[in-house]
This record gives sequence, structure tokens and C-alpha cells, in this order.
Amino acid sequence: MGRVLAFVERDLRKFTRNPVIIFSSVCLPMVYLLVLGNSFQGTVKNLPFAVIDQDHGPYAKRMIERIASIEAGPGTVEHIIMLDAGKAEADVRSGRLKGALIIPPNFSKSVSRGTSPQVGLIVDNTDAISTAALQRVMTEAFTYLKVDAISVRPDRRIPQLRTLELYRKLDYDASIVPGAVIMAIFMGTMTTGAFSVVMDRFQGVHEAYLSTPLTKGELTLAILISGVFVTTLIALIVLGAGIRLTDLEVASGLSAYLAIVMVIMLSAMGLLSMMCFLLARIDHPRIVGIFGGFLNIILFFPSGAVYPIESFPPWLRAFSKVNPESYAVHALKSILFKGMNWSAVRDDLIFLSGFTIVMYTLATLNFKRTL
Amino acid sequence: MSAVVVQDLVKRYGTLSAIDGIDFEVASGTCFGSLGPNGAGKTTLIRILTGLVKPTSGKAIVAGWDVSKKPDAVRGAIGVVSQAMTTDLDLSGRENLDIYARYYSVPSKERRERIAYLLDRVELSDRAKDLVATYSGGMRRRLEIARGLIHKPKILFLDEPTIGLDPQSRRTVWDLLHQFLQDEHLTIFLTTHYMDEADFLCDRIAIIDRGKIKIMDSPALLKESIPGDDIVEIVTVARQDGMVNPPLAEVVAELSAHNFVEQIIQKEEGPYTEGDATESHHLQVYVSNAAEAIPVLMSSLQKQSLKVQSIGLKQCSLEDVFIHYTGRSIRAEEGHKVNFFIGAGVPRRMGG
Ligand SMILES: Nc1ncnc2c1ncn2[C@@H]1O[C@H](COP(=O)(O)OP(=O)(O)O)[C@@H](O)[C@H]1O
Ligand SMILES: [Mg+2]
Repeated sequence: MGRVLAFVERDLRKFTRNPVIIFSSVCLPMVYLLVLGNSFQGTVKNLPFAVIDQDHGPYAKRMIERIASIEAGPGTVEHIIMLDAGKAEADVRSGRLKGALIIPPNFSKSVSRGTSPQVGLIVDNTDAISTAALQRVMTEAFTYLKVDAISVRPDRRIPQLRTLELYRKLDYDASIVPGAVIMAIFMGTMTTGAFSVVMDRFQGVHEAYLSTPLTKGELTLAILISGVFVTTLIALIVLGAGIRLTDLEVASGLSAYLAIVMVIMLSAMGLLSMMCFLLARIDHPRIVGIFGGFLNIILFFPSGAVYPIESFPPWLRAFSKVNPESYAVHALKSILFKGMNWSAVRDDLIFLSGFTIVMYTLATLNFKRTL
Repeated sequence: MSAVVVQDLVKRYGTLSAIDGIDFEVASGTCFGSLGPNGAGKTTLIRILTGLVKPTSGKAIVAGWDVSKKPDAVRGAIGVVSQAMTTDLDLSGRENLDIYARYYSVPSKERRERIAYLLDRVELSDRAKDLVATYSGGMRRRLEIARGLIHKPKILFLDEPTIGLDPQSRRTVWDLLHQFLQDEHLTIFLTTHYMDEADFLCDRIAIIDRGKIKIMDSPALLKESIPGDDIVEIVTVARQDGMVNPPLAEVVAELSAHNFVEQIIQKEEGPYTEGDATESHHLQVYVSNAAEAIPVLMSSLQKQSLKVQSIGLKQCSLEDVFIHYTGRSIRAEEGHKVNFFIGAGVPRRMGG
């Protein structure tokens, strides 16, 4: 064990001598959290769009008021008034506007007579998300157009939907925290562990320790220990920062903390062992870069960190069943958002342990002890 | 007792035989050198002996154990200084030594004493706290020698220990190795392509070329083994007077006719080639009696109207031994091998 710890110490010392790596491993997942959290919100906001009122009647005015109130409320759109329909269309084409609403002459007349009034909506339908959002806003603006006073009592003939929310309300930002933590774990396992051995091979310095009595098993164990140590630290920092940045209220208590650390460590061990297995014979850092970029996408997006797994096609769903990151995401989401409950994370912990054992065994068998 | 025994060792990379059937023994307490040009197979040989590369066939016994069967026992008994520099740049000198001592499970008290002693011996005590990245090449090499000795090994393997060092650092390394050989009851196995290094350090030398041992003996006996008592060096250059030198074959035939000439070797290149390279040659004539030979050689060269730049008498060196046994200069191989750095560093499969 003394030999293993000596190797771990070498690795950790070398890691701490390189502040850029430490800084990036901690900061990049947080940047990711902020970027993805803000640019990729569950709801769309601030879509610029134009209103061309050719009617000037009372219902056109009311329609514009409705839109303005949606703007003040959910803030889906930001409208401007334009006179020239042709100019508006050009702006939609150029992307300056997401859409243009044309209220034709005689619209108000048509509404009051009930002779199927129509408005025109010019949209950039290559942008499906904005188009759908604009259509929703318009429909909403239509809904009460003719109702002058909303009745106090709801219409008893229409079924009312009441959503039962099982957990406290989550911001989209907060819901992405587990994803940021997984990202941090992945980055940690990429820059530590097997990567340091690849660097040693690349620089040729591995020749020195391979001529000492260190065994294969000791080497892979040392790689795992130093990697888990650094990765867990990075992941906990990112988690802590994520909780603060998003004001997430986390289930507290010793068992919740213990479970979080366990999930993080097991995920790190699983990924590190997998890297160690894949990189057991690699001697160029560029190959690690290629592997890393590929694995990051292939493991992260099907993990359920961003999109729900259930919405995937069957083959991708099958893949996420063997993807360690899916289990890590599931476990972290359970603990962070739903409160501590061992039975909810038991399967995740079992899978991650099994995955680690299999990968670690493969890594040790495959590890190249000669030059 | 023999520290190293090698029997019919072969290492093939595809069709290339890097080691092509080698046998030798190294007596305990001596310094053994394997001398050869780049690509001769020296690094491959040392990597097999230190358990880093598996031989294709044959047997290697190091410190009493078969390297293929008991690699861990061998590793514990030997120290290795490889051709490429392998100390960690982002660790201090002391950290490098300390961590290696722990790979060999040296107990902590002994470790501290040994590190202090070795740092002192290699004159790095005052730089021990600095990162190796701030060391010069010579300092780094000295640290690696100290690291190789950290666990008091029985045998120290060094692959081209002074390659890339300036003359002064080379000298320091030689003196260090010379002292350690006496103080530590060591056996040293080193490889080198420097004649003077082998001459200075080694009790026995194996001249190795293209994976084969050409000859093996002490430096003194090697020098005696080549024919002729003296070597006359003749350098010819292109003529400036519009005439042409006679062809080399004619010159050699003319010179060989004298009965005191024992062998003539043409060296392949050198700083003397100016003007037309086809007319400038560097010949080494092995003769039995230089005093008698030089005037006669000069007159026959004149008779052939060959333009001679210089003619001189030379002491026999290991370089001459090498030329004699391999038919070419060891320096001619330098820069010839494109894969010099590959040989020095990480082995990579290069297709095929
Ligand atoms: N891993 C390898 N794969 C293929 N050929 C190799 C490998 N290592 C060495 N060689 C070849 O074996 C020969 C001997 O190389 P090496 O032992 O490095 O020579 P030296 O150390 O004497 O310069 C060279 O021709 C070299 O190209
Ligand atoms: Mg070499």
C-alpha cells in the first residue's frame, strides 16, 4: 500500500503544480451551468415581434392590449408597432423579428358581427420553438377578445385541470445542477486518473516507474485513488456553487450528505475505471481529447440531465440503461430535489458499483505494464 | 558470480532483428559497456534486461533471477537510468527521490538518510527544493543517477548516460559513476556510442552493431586485437590544377602492394571533404612499422600524382577498433537514423 500511496502522492502533487487545470476543472462546469441554464430555459422569453394594425378599430386595440399584458407578465414577447407589412416581413426573413402580426382592415367589424374574423401571423417557421411560442401567445390573446367581463364563476360544464405538484417548484437553472455536477465529474475523470498515465507515456517518463517493483494492480489502484480524490473534490465544489447560485433548497441531514458523496464517488470511480480501461494502451494525449469529446456528448445528453429519458427513441433509451451518467443523474436529482430516500437511489448505487467493478477489472487486465 | 547472464537473446520487431542472438556475462562488481552506433540495439537490450520489453526468444538472468519469470524480483534488485530523461519536471529534486524510494519500499528513516547522502554526492543538496524543471541537463542526469541508486541496488543500468550533455557535465557524470562503482559494491551495465566514455568507465566492452556482438573484451585488449601496430591516416583532396585524381581502387591497390600494409579502411565521411567529394578520401592504413612505411607510402602517392592534404600517424583508439570490426565509423551512423528520438523515448509502432 505504501507504493500505491507514493504513486498517488506523485499524481496529486503534479496536479496541484498546474493551477490552470484545477481552475478549469472547477470553473468550466459552472460556466456550463450558467450558459445552459440561461440560454436554454424551459420557457421562451423576449421574442421580438411586430404588430401592424390596419384596422384601427376597438378590437384591434384590445388585441394589442392583451399582447402587452402577456409581455408584462410571462414576458414571452416584446412587441413593436409597425406600419409597413412588407418591411415587417423582410425583418422576419432577416431574423431581426421572430414574427409579425397583421390585423387586417375591418377586423373589428368582423369580430362584432361574428363573421369569422382573421389575423395574419408571419413567422420564421425554421425556428420551431419561437413559432410555437408566438402561436400560443396569439391564441391566448384571442381567447377573451369578445368577453367584456370575465365571469366570477367558472363555467361548470368545462372540466378544470388541476395539476398536483409533488415537489416544490424548481427553477430551470436549479434543475440543471445535477447535470453540472455530472459534467464536473466527467471533466475530473478526463483530466486525472488514466490521463496522467497517458501523459507519462507521451513524455516517456513512465519508463522510470515501470522499472520499479510497482505492479499492474498497484498502478491501476493508484490511478483510481488519485482520480477519485480530485474528481470528488471538484464535483463537490461545483455542487456547492450550483446550490448557492440557484438558491436550491437541499434536503439536509447526514444521510443526504453521505448519499451525495457516495453517488459522486461511485460515479467518479466508474468513469475513471472506464477511462483507464479505454486508455490502458494509449500513449498520445490527442487520442484522449478525441475520446473525451465523444464520450462527453454520448454519455451526457442521453443521461437525462437535460431532456427526459422517456422522450428518447427506444435504442437511445436502451443505451441510457447502461450509461453510468444516467444513474448518477437520477440519483442526484432524487436526493437534491425530492429529499433523502435511500430506496429511491438504491438501484443507482448498485448499478454504479457493479459498473465500477467490471470496468476496474477490465482496466487492470488490459493495463500495459511493459513499454 | 555473474551479475548478468544473457543467452542467445533475440528481439524482433516484425522482420527487423533489433537484438539478433546475443550471449554475454557481466561479472559482479565490474563495469560492462555495450558500445555501438544509434540503432545498434543497445536500448532494446537494456530494456529487455530491466524487464521493460519482452524478448522474442533467449534467456536473460539478472541479479540471479530470470527476467521473464521473476521480473519483480529483478526490478527490486536493479536501478535503471534510461536514455531519455525521466524525472518529473513538476516535482522537486527531493520529491522525485522520495517518491521513488517509496516505490522500492525503503523505510522512512533510511530513506531520509539515503536521500541526503545521495543529494550530497551528486552535488544537488542546495537545489533539492527546486522543481526539476529549473535544472540543467547535467543536473537532471545527476538526479536520475541518484534516483537509480536510491534503494541500494546490486546492479545499475544506464542507457547512454551522457547523451546530450556538454563535455564538462559528461566528465562529472563519469567521475560520479567511477566513484559509485567503488563505494557501492555496484555492478554497472551501461550503453554508449561514445568511445571515450566506454574507454574511461568500462572494464569490459561489447561492440554491438545491428543487434549482434562483434567483439567483446577489455578496452586495452580490444585495441591490441586489431592488426598492425600503427595507423597511418591519409586524407586526399580534389586537385585544383585541372587534372583528376586517380580512382580510389587504383590507389588502394597500389598501397596494398607494400608488404608492411596490413589493412586499408576507407572512412566514410569527415570534415576534410571539400571540393569534389568523389576525389577526396580519408584512408586508414594499418601498417606494421610506421617509420619505414610513411616515406614509402608518400612516394607511391606522389607517383600516382594524387593530391594529398595530410598524412599522419595515429594512436590506436576504440574508434579504430570499431571501424575495424564493423567496417565503418561509428559517427557515420549519427544523424543517419531518423528515429533517434523514438529510440530514446517511447517505443511506438510505426506501421509494419
Ligand atoms: N518499439 C519498436 N518497434 C519497432 N522497431 C523498434 C522498436 N524499438 C526499437 N526498434 C528498432 O530496433 C533497432 C534498435 O533500436 P535501439 O535499441 O533503440 O537502438 P540504440 O539504442 O542502439 O540506438 C532500431 O532499428 C530501431 O528502429
Ligand atoms: Mg538507444
